Order: sequence, then C-alpha cells, then structure tokens
Amino acid sequence: MSSATVARPRPGPRRGRIRIGRFTLNLRDRDTVIYLALAIGALAFPTVADFVTGGAGGSIVLLAADAGVYVLLALGLNVVVGFAGLLDLGYAAFFAIGAYTYALMASGALFHTPLHHAIHIPFWLLLVVGVMIAATAGALLGAPTLRLRGDYLAIVTLGFGEIVPRVFRNAGDWTGGINGLSALDNPVLPYWVDGPWAGVGEQFGIVKDLIFSVANPTAWYVLMLILVGISVVMLNNLRKSRLGRAWMAIREDETAAQAMGINTVSTKLLAFAMGAATSGFAGCFYGAKLSLVSPENFQFQVSITILVMIVLGGMGSMPGVIVGSLTVYLILFKILPDAPNQVHSLLATTGFTAIDQPTGDWPGLGEFVSRLKFLLFGLILVTTMLLRPGGLIPSRAEIDVERAAKETSALGLEGAQG
Amino acid sequence: MRLTRLKALALPVAAVFATVACGGGGTTGGGSSKGTIVIASDYPASGGEASTGIPEQQAVAFAVSQHQTIKGFTIQYKPFDDAINGVHDPQKGAQNATTMAGDSSIVAMVGPNNSNVAKAMIPILAAVPLAMVSPANTNECLTKSFSYCNPAPSELRKGSTNNYFRIAGTDDQQGPAMAVYAHDTLKFTKAAIFSDNETFGKGVADNFQKKWTSLGGTVVVRNDYDAKNTSDFKTYINSAKSGGAQFVYIGATTGNKPCIFKAQMKGILDVPLTGPDGFALDPQCIKDAGDNATNIYGTTAGSDPVAGNDPNAKSTIDAYKKVYSKPTDIATYTFQSYDCAILLIDAIGRAIDANQNGDITTPVFSYYQSDPTNTATGGWKYLSSQGVTSSS
Amino acid sequence: MDGSPAGTTQDSALAEKAEEVEDPAAIAARDQAWTEGLMAVRAGMVGNRWVRLLRWLVLGVVIVVLLLMARNIATHSQPLAYFLQTIVYGLGSGSLYALIALGYTMVYGIIELINFAHADVVTFGGFISLSVVTAFGFKEGVVNGPLILLALVPITAGTMLVCGLLNITIERVAYRPLRNAPRVSPLITAAGMSFVLEGLMFLWKGPVNNHYPDLIPTGQLTLIGTTVRIKDAVVVVLALLLVLALDTFVTKSKLGKAMRATAQDRDAASLMGIDINRTIAATFFIGAVLAGFAGTMYGLYFGNIVFDLGFATGLVAFTAAVLGGIGNIRGAALGGLCIGMFEAFWNSYFVSAWTQVMIFVILTLVLLFRPAGLLGMRVPDRT
Repeated sequence: MSSATVARPRPGPRRGRIRIGRFTLNLRDRDTVIYLALAIGALAFPTVADFVTGGAGGSIVLLAADAGVYVLLALGLNVVVGFAGLLDLGYAAFFAIGAYTYALMASGALFHTPLHHAIHIPFWLLLVVGVMIAATAGALLGAPTLRLRGDYLAIVTLGFGEIVPRVFRNAGDWTGGINGLSALDNPVLPYWVDGPWAGVGEQFGIVKDLIFSVANPTAWYVLMLILVGISVVMLNNLRKSRLGRAWMAIREDETAAQAMGINTVSTKLLAFAMGAATSGFAGCFYGAKLSLVSPENFQFQVSITILVMIVLGGMGSMPGVIVGSLTVYLILFKILPDAPNQVHSLLATTGFTAIDQPTGDWPGLGEFVSRLKFLLFGLILVTTMLLRPGGLIPSRAEIDVERAAKETSALGLEGAQG
Repeated sequence: MRLTRLKALALPVAAVFATVACGGGGTTGGGSSKGTIVIASDYPASGGEASTGIPEQQAVAFAVSQHQTIKGFTIQYKPFDDAINGVHDPQKGAQNATTMAGDSSIVAMVGPNNSNVAKAMIPILAAVPLAMVSPANTNECLTKSFSYCNPAPSELRKGSTNNYFRIAGTDDQQGPAMAVYAHDTLKFTKAAIFSDNETFGKGVADNFQKKWTSLGGTVVVRNDYDAKNTSDFKTYINSAKSGGAQFVYIGATTGNKPCIFKAQMKGILDVPLTGPDGFALDPQCIKDAGDNATNIYGTTAGSDPVAGNDPNAKSTIDAYKKVYSKPTDIATYTFQSYDCAILLIDAIGRAIDANQNGDITTPVFSYYQSDPTNTATGGWKYLSSQGVTSSS
Repeated sequence: MDGSPAGTTQDSALAEKAEEVEDPAAIAARDQAWTEGLMAVRAGMVGNRWVRLLRWLVLGVVIVVLLLMARNIATHSQPLAYFLQTIVYGLGSGSLYALIALGYTMVYGIIELINFAHADVVTFGGFISLSVVTAFGFKEGVVNGPLILLALVPITAGTMLVCGLLNITIERVAYRPLRNAPRVSPLITAAGMSFVLEGLMFLWKGPVNNHYPDLIPTGQLTLIGTTVRIKDAVVVVLALLLVLALDTFVTKSKLGKAMRATAQDRDAASLMGIDINRTIAATFFIGAVLAGFAGTMYGLYFGNIVFDLGFATGLVAFTAAVLGGIGNIRGAALGGLCIGMFEAFWNSYFVSAWTQVMIFVILTLVLLFRPAGLLGMRVPDRT
C-alpha cells in the first residue's frame, strides 16, 4: 500500500525494478505486481464507481468498505490457518468480541447495564483497545486448547464460535441480549479544514469536525483502506520475521519444528493472538460503520465464509487471500443477492417465465439461483483442496513445495512424504 | 397529533422534492413529467420468508400502479430484498439503507418487515433523512421509551428528526392482546410460556407474561429455547403438563418451530397453542403442526381487511386480486403494506393518528384460530378484530 | 533417554565428574519421573500447575451444578413422575445422538478425520425416506396400526443403503485423494463436503421445515405418572439393538477385525494383507447405514426435518463421541445417551437458553482434562 505513489521509473540496476527512496519495487515479482494492482485499483475505485454510476457511486463505495471488513478478517484468519496451519472454525467469535468492545464502550449501552454510566471512548482509541481485547481473548482460548492436536482444535474452536454469540445473546443485562446494541457512536476526526471543495453554501476556511456517516462514504472507504494497508504491512513483516518462519515450520512439521528449538506452544499462541487481533480491528470498524452489533451477525456462517475466502485465495498467501476475500464477497453480497432479479428480468425479456413460477418443490429459477450459496461454498472448499490446494494465487512456499514434489517424482523418489 | 405526523413525514419528502425540482437527481420520465421519484421497499423477498415479503412487495407495486404520477412527477417503485440465506438479515438491511441513502431519486421507503432490520436501518436513514413506513414492525422499542429499551428511540434516531412510522400495533400491546383474549374469551387461568429467544419472540412473550400475571393468571413454566438447535420439545411439553397448563403461549416466528412444538404435543398434552403474528396466519405453521394443527390461536397487528369484510377496503382488495390472483398473493401484512405505500404516496393517505415517534394511537389486533381443513385460507380461520388501548 | 537438559556448555570432563558424584539410583529415579511426566503430559493427565488448579475449579463447579439440579429435582411439585419422564425423553433423543455419534467415532477411529459431513448424511437420509413416504402418500390417518411397519421397514432399509453408498462416494471423491496430504486439507474438505450436502438439500427442499408424518402407531404405557409411548420405546430399543449388532460385528467378524487392525496401525495392517482402501470404505458405509437409520428415526420421532439440521445435531453428536471416548463404539453409545440425558435434564430443571452453551463447555472440558473420554480408547495425540 505504501508504495502506491506513482513514480518515474529510473534506470535501475536490473530491469523491472523501480526505486522510490529506500524502497525497491521488483516488477518481476508476482506479489509486488498484485499488491500494486490492488493498491491502484483501490485508490481509483471511488472515482470509477462514481463515473460508472453517474454520480451515485456512494452505495458501492460503502459496499466496498464493508468488503474491507472481510479482507481484514481473512488476513487475520490467514495467520492462524495459512501461516501456522491451525484450523480455526470459530473465528467469528473474535470478530464478535471486537465489535462488542466497540459497541459497549462507544454508545449509551453501558447506561442500561448495572454500571449505569455510558462510556463514549473515541473510535481511534477503541481500535487499539479492541485489538488488545480480541488478542487477549485469542490467547485465553488458545492457552488451554493449543496443546490439542489440529483436528481437535478445529472442533474446540467451532464450539467456541458457537458459545460466544450465545453468551452475548443470553447475557442480556450487559449486551442488550438478542436485540443487540445499536445507535453506536460515529467516528469523528476532531478537526477538518474545510475549503472551497466543501458543499455549496459552506464558508471557506471554517474548521469543523469530520463525522463518519452514511452521507460520507469516501471517509469510510479511506479509513478502511488505511486499516487494510496497516494490516497488510504489519502481517507481511511478521511473515518474514523469525516468528513467521517459526509458524511455517510448525505448519510443515510440528515435531521437526520443536526439535529445532521452537517453542511450539507459545508460537502457536502468538498466531492465535495475532489472528484474533486482526479480527478485533475488523470488529471495531464493523460496529462503528453498521452502528449495530447483534449476536446474529457472528454465526458460524461468518466463520465459514472467511475460511472459504482464504482457501479460495490461497492459504498462506497474502495477496491470494485479499483477492480471494474480494471475490467471495462479490459473489456473496453482490452477485447472488442480485441474481434472482437478474434472472427474473432475463426470463421476462426472453419469454421463459414458465420456469420462473414456483411449483411444488421447484421454487422458480430466480429463487433457485439465490439458493446456490451453500453448494457454491462447499464446492469451492472441496475442489480447491482437491485440484489446487494452493488456491488461486498460491504462496511462494506452496509453489516451491510443488516444484520440489515435481522434481522428486521426476527423479523417481516418490513417497518421500506421507 | 395527526398534524405532527404529517409535518414530520412531509419534511423529508418535501426536501427531496426540492432536490428533484432543482435537478439534483432523478432521470427524466415522460415528456410531460417533471422527473421521477422512486419509492423503495425493504422486505425479505427470497427464501422461506418470501411468502410474506413477496405479497408485501406486490402490494406496494400495486399502490404505485394506482398512483403513477404525483404533482407532475412520475412515481417508480424499487424493491430491495433484505434476506440472506432465506432469512431477514439486519446487515443486509443496513446495506440496503445505505444504497437508498446514496440514491438521490429515492424519497422514501415502505418496510421493513422485521423489527431487528428496522433497528439497523433507522439510524442510517434518520441521518439522511429518508422517511420509512413499516406495515409490520411490532417491536415496541423502535418508538417507545421503556427502561429496558436499549437503545432508547431517541438514541436510535441519533438526535435527528423522526423519520420512522408504522401502522402495526406494538409487542407491548400484541402480547397483552392475547393475554386478554385467553383470559376473557377462552377463560383460562394457567399458562405455560415459551419463546424462541429472539428479539421478536422473547419480547412478545415477556409482554404476554406481564399482562397475564396482572390479570391474575398463573404461569406454570417459562422457558426460552434455542431455536436453531432444538427439535426436541418434549421436555418443555412435559414441564407444561406437569404444571397443569391449560394452554401454551409461544413467542416465536414460524421458522423457529412453534408449530413443531404443537405437533410434538400430540399424545402428551392436548391444550391450545397461542401466539403472535410470528406464526399466526402462516400456512407453513399448519404444515409444521401436521395432524395436530387444531386449536392454534394467534394474533396479528392491525385489522384484517380481507376476512374482516371492511367495506372501505373491498374495492381495493378486489382490484388487487384481479392483478395478483393466486391465493399465495395475499399474506399476513399484504394490505398493511399497501396502506403504507398509499400513506407515503400522497403523504395524507388514510386518517390514522400517530404520535411523535411514529406510532398509531389506536392499534387494532386480529384474532385467528387454526382450521386445517380450510385449505383456501392456508388453514386459518378469522375470529375477530379488537382495538387495544393501552399496555400493561 | 537422558533426562538432563540438552545444550549445556559444560565441558565433558566436568560432566563426567558430576555423573560420578551423583547417585545412580537418583539418576534412575529422575529419569523415571521425567518419563512418567512426559507420558502424563502426553495423555493430558497433567498439564501444568494452572491446568491442575483449573481441574479442581471445574470439578467444584460441576458439583455445584449437580447439587442445584438435585435441589430442583427434589423441590418439583411431582418429583418422581417428572424425574422419570425426563429420563424417558432424555433416552429418546440420546439414543438418536448415540446412533449419529457412532458414525463419527468409527471414521475417526480408522482415519483420524472429523467427518463434518456425517450429520448431513443423516439429514439426507431423513429427506430420502421422507420423499419415499410422501410419494406413497403415507400420512397420519391414512394407514394406521402395525401395518405401517410393513412399509416402514423396507423404506428404512432402502434409505440406509442409499446413505451408505453416498458416504462411500464421498470418501472416494473427497477424502481418499487427500490421505497423505497435510492434516488440515481433509478437514477443510470435510467441512466443504458438509456444505455441498447442505447446499444440495437446500436446493432440493428449500429453507423451510419439512413436516415428517407421524407414522409410528400411537399407544402408551403409564407407570407412576410416567408415560412411555410406543414411539419412545421403538427408538430406544432399535438404537440399542443396532449398537449391539455393530459392536458384535466389529469384535467378531473378519471385516471388523480388519477395521480394528487398520485403526491401530495402517501400515502393519497393510503388510498383513488387509486391503486398506476397502476397509476404510466399509467403515464409511457402515457409519452411513446407521446415519440413514438415524435420519429416518429422527423424522419419525421429532416430526420434522430441515436442511441445516446436520450442523447443530452433528456438533452435539460429535460431543457425545468425544465424551464416550472417540474411536470407542460402546463409548459413543454411552456418550450419546449421556448428552441426550443432560440436555433433557437441563431443559427440564434449568434455563434452557444455556443448554447448548453447556454442551460445548462439556466438549471443551472433556478434551482438555480427559481426552480419552469416559470409556477411553484412543488417546488423542498431543503436541
């Protein structure tokens, strides 16, 4: 993200490299190119959306900001599943914890609890607090369960993912129960210099607050972009760090990693905490933007959606995960919901309205299409694992492993693994 | 009272009229038209809840087709679907709201169908402002300030002028309405009360319980079940039976299995099941209850224009039936949805008084009993409609 | 193995000196303790001080809950009848959980895979038999009395067969190619398979509850204020018979022995001439046969089926399998009954909104403190 500034290409030491200050962009590197394309696409998106829709791009931009929440979640889960190889099926629980942290500390909600005092902490501070609380929750869950082997961990996290929303739902005195908490504070940037670019009739040079609201889609979008940018840079650095290499060592062979002197429990714990932290980030943003937090928004569906995103994109590959999450989001929240109407109008224009009429078990083609979600999710998971375990954009390690496997089999040394 | 409502409703509408007149938005309609204004709706239009949502949409479309222009503007209708996986979804509702907020040609909306969706949409649309009129939201906390309401209605609107109106009576009246009926008409004294532990179900069951106790009735058991994970209700039925319950009240929507509860009562406990509009008048409930679908009583908010033989509504209903002729084209809140659209379209509509938060002052509830043999009505029999003046 | 910490910087002479000074018995004792400690940690009996403390805490909470329940049982208006009736209903749903848990436990026992799709096979079975029943026009009041059993037996048998074949296909397509892949891969495929099945059933039947006709003849027996309906008795007795049959099959038959051998050591079994692929497929088949039966019984007993039933039920049934000791057939049956009973008692005597939370708490606690389960067989690997 940081390297998004357009720079004049200088004659570098090698072809395909651009130097900007200390940074060198290697245009022959696949990941760099993808990041660059994503960054340019992201920056141009609001303008393009406005242009395409003829000035009414606001809602699309807001939708894109929502997509960012899933990108953050997928990046976080990628640390746990992709980097460290731990299957977490209850990831939405940490998301919920982040969101509820924001909801309780930035609204009138605590006034209705036994505390009887509302707390209104600014969004910016709560971003940090939410991250810390989610990370702590991750560590607390991880500490006892990470001693379990992988598949048991999957089922414990699945249970945890079921428990957390239920606890939020049942502890009505504190969390608003099934109603959830709504009317949460909007983030506010204290001072914002208005200029002639402000709306008609506003004076030049007046200083006022910038309130993040629906009327201001670009503000949300930019905020999301910054959050994603920070997360990508941080997680990328983590991946390359000693800790990141330890995660991958554990993923490949835990016993060997332990023999190499890696403290597997604390390393896995850190993976869990880092993953949870990222979703805490996402949770705060989600709560602030939707202005509503309810236990129904953090069901197993959410956990599995995020898993589908990273499996499709490529486990362990950060650009892959971003692309995967955007793809799945587009399918889930744009294409599938719009599909029935598209089908209706298509059938109406072509005259095949007969197959659109519900009879017996047949719900009509439009409705049928909208029901494809579960099947699609399942098929993505199964076919990706069977045909292309690395996902759409495999991580480099995955490519190396595949290459090595090919070489091994070419040498007739098959059976070395397993 | 009435003036307050009209003024409040007129405000956002007028504001957008001004925008449209200034050429701020909207595409040009026909040659004589000054422009197009769009009325949106937000209902669950796919999956299991489509049986309610689609007729509601059709009713709005019908109302718009009756009033194609207003003051020289062409009126168009744009439906939104708030269902994900066949269930209404607050997040989808909020996204729809932001879409509406971003589309300057949309002046107002009809809906939503579900209270928790409304809770997500109100703060977003109050800030615009964009008027919403719901035919079916019954959660009291959307408009009324009770101590347990979190957030309070004023917090929900975030200090903006009220933009939300509804014509349905609220749960703090709907629950008690059945309590009064069970006490006065059915002459019962011992109730077993359950809920699906969701916003609507638990709220209406709580309010039923309050009224029931104040009427002097006994509660033999009160429990909230986890709808998603429960398919075995026999332990609950047993607890009702051992307490000697004369009837069961379940605050739930059809999908949360109240009528499966009734099916499992077969052979164990032969008493009536009563409940709110979550399952009353829903044909699916009758299917769920199987051969034990007799003796189910339910309320819906509002009078029943079809079965109630309202002479004023007859011509409208007949006209609607001409366009939408299938029996499934009329469901629980179909004509309420029509009323909302009419209300919006000329901002005068029918003479309904509403208070400052958008509630009508004299809500009416209709009572129904299950009647599995009558397949034409989806298995329900209309009993009566009564006004309920105040809550407990 | 030497118990002294590795990587010391002492030079060898010093080390030798230390060895000489130390009493050989002490070294032996220390090694012994070290080995025992390792074994204990591996078995999950002791983790560290905090885990031990947590164990006492959990034990305390469990005792408090039991006492509270005892109080609620004793203070009920009809203590005995209500208590016994709760047991009857607990047994009914518990025996269905037991049948489903068997499928999980068998598959886990043999290839150490949590077959997430198993409970969806159960739902699938329910839908298949429902379709056949509807196609023949059976519903309440049309065919009465024991005659209906003549129709139900072949329908159930057919359903069991179809489910078995389905599960073999799933194993062949989705799990077998990944047998040597990293552990996380088959797990993800299993979750994906579960979604594929749910998706198919969603397309087929939609999101609504599907009424399953109440075909088992009515009739009941009342003793001490407790009613046992034919339905309750049929479910429990048939489930019990199936568990016994399966247990005998696995211990006595040749295929059963092959299964156990494969579960114990796949390579060794293969060397002994056991066809691994065939044995594993057989395991999936038998698990799914039980699933088909469970699905049909589920519909008949509870009167409805919905496409995503498998998710909720599967999690509870898996908990039952873990509680009984995963890999252990009698354990799964016992675990199922325990969980069913727990659910019934919690619903009857406590606030039912917390029942599911409690079941997941049980799952977590069992995995943490007694991963071998009640009866214990396969101790899950720890790292």
